[in-house]
Amino acid sequence: MASTFISIAITLLIFIVLFGNSYDAFSQIGWDLFSLTWNPAKDQFGVLSMLYGTFAVTLIALLLAVPLGIATAIFTSEILPDRFRLYVKSAIELLAGIPSIIYGLIGIALVSTWVASIFELSSGRTLVTAGILLAIMILPTIITLTDDALHNIPKKYKETSKGLGLYPYEIIQKTLLPLAKRNIAGAVLLALGRALGETMAVMLLVGSIDKIPQPFFNLLSPGQTITSKLGREVGESAFGSLHFSALNAIGFLLLLIVITLTICTQLYFRKEARSL
Amino acid sequence: MKRNVKNIAFKSVIWTAALVSIVTLLFLISTLIWKGFGAITFDFIFSESKNFGSEGGIIYQIIGSLLLTLCAALISFPLALGVAIYKSEYIKKRSLQTITDTIVFSLNGIPSIIFGIFGLIFFVNVLHTGISWFVGSIILAIMILPTIILSSYQSIISIPISYRENAMALGMTQWQVIRTVIIPRSIDGAFTGLLLGLARAIGETAPIMFIATAFSGVTFPRSLVEPVSTLPTHILALAQQATNPQALENAWGSSLVLVTLVFMFSISALVRRIQYSKINY
Amino acid sequence: MKKILTLSVFTLLVVACSQPNNNTVRVAGSTTVLPVVSVAAESYIKAHPNSKVVVNAGGSGVGVNQVGSQQVEIGMISRDITQKEINQYPQTSFTTHVIGKDAVVPVVSSEIYDAGITSLTLEQIAKIYRGEISNWKELNGPDKDILVIDKEASRGTRHVFMEIVLGDKEAVAAGADLVLGANNEEQTALTQSDSALGILSNAWLNDDVKGISIIMPDGEIVEPTLENIINNKFPITRDLVLITNGEPMGEIKAFIDYIKGPEGQKIVSKNGYVSISK
Repeated sequence: MASTFISIAITLLIFIVLFGNSYDAFSQIGWDLFSLTWNPAKDQFGVLSMLYGTFAVTLIALLLAVPLGIATAIFTSEILPDRFRLYVKSAIELLAGIPSIIYGLIGIALVSTWVASIFELSSGRTLVTAGILLAIMILPTIITLTDDALHNIPKKYKETSKGLGLYPYEIIQKTLLPLAKRNIAGAVLLALGRALGETMAVMLLVGSIDKIPQPFFNLLSPGQTITSKLGREVGESAFGSLHFSALNAIGFLLLLIVITLTICTQLYFRKEARSL
Repeated sequence: MKRNVKNIAFKSVIWTAALVSIVTLLFLISTLIWKGFGAITFDFIFSESKNFGSEGGIIYQIIGSLLLTLCAALISFPLALGVAIYKSEYIKKRSLQTITDTIVFSLNGIPSIIFGIFGLIFFVNVLHTGISWFVGSIILAIMILPTIILSSYQSIISIPISYRENAMALGMTQWQVIRTVIIPRSIDGAFTGLLLGLARAIGETAPIMFIATAFSGVTFPRSLVEPVSTLPTHILALAQQATNPQALENAWGSSLVLVTLVFMFSISALVRRIQYSKINY
Repeated sequence: MKKILTLSVFTLLVVACSQPNNNTVRVAGSTTVLPVVSVAAESYIKAHPNSKVVVNAGGSGVGVNQVGSQQVEIGMISRDITQKEINQYPQTSFTTHVIGKDAVVPVVSSEIYDAGITSLTLEQIAKIYRGEISNWKELNGPDKDILVIDKEASRGTRHVFMEIVLGDKEAVAAGADLVLGANNEEQTALTQSDSALGILSNAWLNDDVKGISIIMPDGEIVEPTLENIINNKFPITRDLVLITNGEPMGEIKAFIDYIKGPEGQKIVSKNGYVSISK
């Protein structure tokens, strides 16, 4: 019917529009797009520092949120008494809905000053700060989905393991986690997708400087991500200019990464449904 | 012996992790409440903002946010329901189903700033609408479409086949079956999905900050092509003045109001989902 | 039923696209000019209840772009329009209206100022932004790394500053640590740090954010006071400008005239800028 047609048309349109506008950038700048310098005045549009920043910030977020999230999910699914489950789970789900700009506010007003004083930096606007806020943002998602994954494992597996005399940690580690592995991976991918696309919190906190830190692993320095760059410069560039086209190009890159991720996530969940 | 020790170690790690998570999340919500509460007065909610937002209130921001969101609801709800129905009733081939699924999921994963850029290019520049709150609603509608589609679809496929078979046995055409059986039975689920979508839409900044909003001077729009102020963009402007105590206090206050609105939507959705799962056919 | 709804949505869409603007004056651009214009808008609307003035920030670059693409009627800029920008919008003829003047001041965190660094030469500032000086102790200040705060490339404040300090308004500051946007974001970062150097309009100076005096080539130390802006002694000054597409008419003209008039100029002075009559 008409509505499905419209929806499909819209998705394709988004792709086409973004790609169309990036075309200028791709054709005129070509592989130089992957250089280090971004200077619109001299028509230099190298996105490498943005790719690095996006990668670094997401990595930090995952390193913090995934272990914490899975562990907490083990808690809510296996250790928490059933009567609390509903409330705790609902609370966590609600928290997943806090708008991203509020994380940005908390970051800039509180977390960045703490980071600056703990690590004795001149500024708390760093890749690490952005990573921390992202971690807090994706934590509820990972907890909820992992908890679902663990809780949905048929009871027989747990009971059999118990019957064999396994300790709780062994049950969790050797039986439940492997069984839930697929779904947990899916949850992490979903959280990853959200972290990659997050703009507001990152834009306010990351420092917005188009450089890769020296040395590259010193993530306690300011940097730049794709989303932060877009958030700050799209309004400033003239529609139709090479600058605008370049911004579209990095947006398109982000789009490709995220869509590929989403499709992979879908495949993960799909296979799981068939095997169990 | 060793296993016992490992067990205790494991348990303590889990408990610690859970504690850290819960403390962090509690910190999040309590900061908002504690810091925001001071700013909330009758004046704050019902008067205009002045002086970069560091004085005055947020009435037009609240109105703007609600306007954008409710309009997005009106646009996306019928569209999403239509897609869900189409998918369950008309698409029979497995491959087509997969393709539709993929498209819906992809739409769901698109970063919000990309929606903003798309809106900027397509509506503001190509169609020459200029900065318009209505375009903002359209973009938000597109953004929450997948959420509603998925919710509607879930509730449609949970309608027992017997209902459909009975209807068809009575000689109804497919369209009549949809109209009399499927839509009434799935509207609840679709509405729940709508609430979830709105909870997300009202809090978004990136999609609308280029195409629908203005910083000051905005009152109730008189046409479709005017900008509005919204809570998230207001908070963004205030967050950039984080060392100005007045502005900061108003930022927390606006955040508290925003979160309250978001929670109103998401708690309603949650309650409905819990109720719904208790209904047996 | 659904089809009717969808159709009506589309009709609304088409209508939306063709709706002309009824008397709303839209303004966007420089955050330096913003405080004046938004306060002026508030009082203008009080005096003319049928008018509507909508104001947005974004920076001088946004002001130029939006006037150029005819999305706003008035742009606010705190620098000159570049040739590139003029070439970008061949169908727009940019007309400028000066409404005030201010200075772009190099600013430091109050801790640095209190530690003794109250004036610098332009060359020293240039060296810091180029990355050649990186610690305050090299300038007889405390032993702290300089947090060099830069601005987004199209911001008016940056253009004017870089033109005088580095000789090229679009110069790259290799020594920059952070890139920020609006004047108030910059002010926030300077306050949060205890060793920062930034670029700010003189109207934004306060107890936490101190303006540096410039040591001129002949040794004279020029402070960033209103006096020194009026008599052009301070080396980094600029006009605050409103731009329109062609000559303004009707409501637009009325609003611009209001700002240029006595009430508007009072607002200019009150906000820390120099009014045009001086």
